Amino acid sequence: MNSGPSKTAEAIIAVFVPPACREEVLGDLHERYSSSGQYGLDALRTIPLVIISRIRRTADPQVLLIQAFALYASFLGAAWLKDGAFLSEQWGLLRLALPAAVAILGLTLEDTYAKPGRRSPLNLARGPMLGLGLALASQGMFRISNPDLAVPSWIMFYGCAISLLLSSAVRMLFPPATDQLQGANVPAHWLKQSGGSLGNPETSSRVVKGVAAIVAVVIVGTWMANRAALPKPRVVTLLLVLLLVLLIAYQVWKRG
Amino acid sequence: MAKPDSLGQFEQLVLTAILALREDAYGVTIHSKVQELARPKAVSLGAVYVTLDRLEDKGLVASWMSDPTPERGGRAKRCYRLEALGERALQESAVTAKRIWDVIAEVWGKEWAKEWGKRWGKEAG
Repeated sequence: MNSGPSKTAEAIIAVFVPPACREEVLGDLHERYSSSGQYGLDALRTIPLVIISRIRRTADPQVLLIQAFALYASFLGAAWLKDGAFLSEQWGLLRLALPAAVAILGLTLEDTYAKPGRRSPLNLARGPMLGLGLALASQGMFRISNPDLAVPSWIMFYGCAISLLLSSAVRMLFPPATDQLQGANVPAHWLKQSGGSLGNPETSSRVVKGVAAIVAVVIVGTWMANRAALPKPRVVTLLLVLLLVLLIAYQVWKRG
Repeated sequence: MAKPDSLGQFEQLVLTAILALREDAYGVTIHSKVQELARPKAVSLGAVYVTLDRLEDKGLVASWMSDPTPERGGRAKRCYRLEALGERALQESAVTAKRIWDVIAEVWGKEWAKEWGKRWGKEAG
């Protein structure tokens, strides 16, 4: 008789399954158990898709875009304040995008693994803190493995401090979907009907693509106008701040 | 009444499985039924979860948690049922599939349709 998977195996797998769907996913995997190998393989094939589905349900592309602008603008501002010469170094502007991208990944994972319905003022800062912690860790790894990609420490520390404030403010304005859910796994459809944060996915996707296209056109246009020179930091910062303000204004207007 | 989105093939399979299973539609049983309907293609449990989430977001199915059972290690099931919008979307898909079948049978001949009908019947049996 197959008694079921070992407690240790279940505990390890439970860590990777987002809490919002942990109960049913672990229960289904338990019910399908026939051997340890089958259980492990089943979990390996199932959990990545469960995580992707949860990210799709909890992430709002427009708010993520706002967060990305806020984070990048923070690191850009910090670089401008602390070490203006860094911005004129080769790939200086692109190197600043690395900690911002890692922080966005951290924010997304925090929302994916958040327990639905658990409200706490700490939630607003927890995501940015996790994201920025990951960004600092990734910079530490770059310093060891590929110092050319690393951002100077002072820029990182100032950038993280500004990011923490800006990112928490954005989360206060547009709370994560998981903070609005009252039940264990309320469908995003209900949130959309009640004017929640996720909005119409098609419109969200169009806005995100539109903004991405504008940013790409402006950066490429400026680059071509300057004949192979990267756009000036002032232009990039002003553009980012302008887009950030426009996106926030649009979101606030949309949510009434 | 809201007009349902058109369904993808896998969504049709999942909705059909929920319809067939009635009160017993949850992750494991839906996956088994979909695998049976999709033969000979293999279907992963993860793909079924992703589709169930998407169908729930579209308002085509609704879910609730059942009581925990010992065969699941004391864990609850998430059960699913079709919403009115889901039933309508499935009906539209079935009507379209019937039209496709009629046209194919007309062009390729009734003998072909009979032969394939028998073959499918055997496989299902």
